Amino acid sequence: MAMQGGTALQEKVSRMLSRKQKKPVLKPNKPLVLKDEVANRKIKKGEATCVTEMSMMMACWKQNNFVDTLCSNEMQSFYKCVEKAQIAVKDKSEQQTIGQSGRLQPKQATTLLKRYPNLHIEV
Amino acid sequence: MFIKQAEQLKLEKQHGQVDSGHQGVIRPGRVFLVRWSRYNPYYLEPEPRKEVYHIPETELTPEQKEERELKSVRPIKAATNSVTSSVFNDPVLSKFVNMMMKDGDKIIAKGIITQTLENMKRKQVEKYHKAPEGKKAEIECNPYAIFHQALENCKPVIGLASIQKGGKFYQVPIPLTDNRRRFLAMKWMITECRDNKHRRTLMYEKLSQELLAAFSKEGNVVKRKHELHKMAESNRAYAHYRWW
Repeated sequence: MAMQGGTALQEKVSRMLSRKQKKPVLKPNKPLVLKDEVANRKIKKGEATCVTEMSMMMACWKQNNFVDTLCSNEMQSFYKCVEKAQIAVKDKSEQQTIGQSGRLQPKQATTLLKRYPNLHIEV
Repeated sequence: MFIKQAEQLKLEKQHGQVDSGHQGVIRPGRVFLVRWSRYNPYYLEPEPRKEVYHIPETELTPEQKEERELKSVRPIKAATNSVTSSVFNDPVLSKFVNMMMKDGDKIIAKGIITQTLENMKRKQVEKYHKAPEGKKAEIECNPYAIFHQALENCKPVIGLASIQKGGKFYQVPIPLTDNRRRFLAMKWMITECRDNKHRRTLMYEKLSQELLAAFSKEGNVVKRKHELHKMAESNRAYAHYRWW
């Protein structure tokens, strides 16, 4: 089943490369070979954490002309928020490495591919 | 650099018992290259503080008991030269000394810091004796306390990061980690004392002046911190450009 799929793909690629019918669709400057690794990427883009706390602290600074002693409450709440955000990030990354939800993580895919790499030397 | 490496090799040849990061048999008398080797991750950090070992068995929490059991099984890294179990060992002060050190000359850096602390103590004691009876209790004479408080007063709360968005770079206010804040405070202190001083004033003199000023929240370093805060405040609209 995989071999059939493989030959069909190769036929399509050779058709795209050929100059017999019309202009070739593909003009590759490198050989059409897949790499032994998968790109690391996070699909979801994160958002800025602790913006409210930061803006409260800055408003307090603006009022008190940047004297730190009068803004200690807001600063403490800002530090707590930052700590919580850091712990949340750690937990999230831990949870991602453990749970996959049906898909391989990019790092796991790379490890597997490296075990059976493309042969580029004929030995 | 090569001389030090040769000395290192010689030492290992004498001891011959180093567990370097390499996999292999350790044979006594055999020479190993240890300059770039790393400890295996299962090595644990040493605990130099004496109080931890004086806690009696009964008062240990379950986590501490677990830790002790783990320590009896796993190997422990060698403690560095700068870490001692004495009462005078201060990690913040050691970090400051290391940051002030040039070309590996710790003796000069440590000497400057000792002179600074002595100088601060002298100034504070002079102020103490000249002060009226009511004000005497407020004057802080302990130079270590002054150093720590001054450094706390110099630490910035938020920093700025250069983030690219749509082809342009914006200075975005970001929260800083504790290590980064401590590093910035020390760095500002040292650069300020090196650059803005009269040709004839010595480093310890200028440092003691700056530390005492920072202790009372005046002086150039605290001003620099306030300027950073003002920049961050003026750029607060870009705070949403952060993605972490």
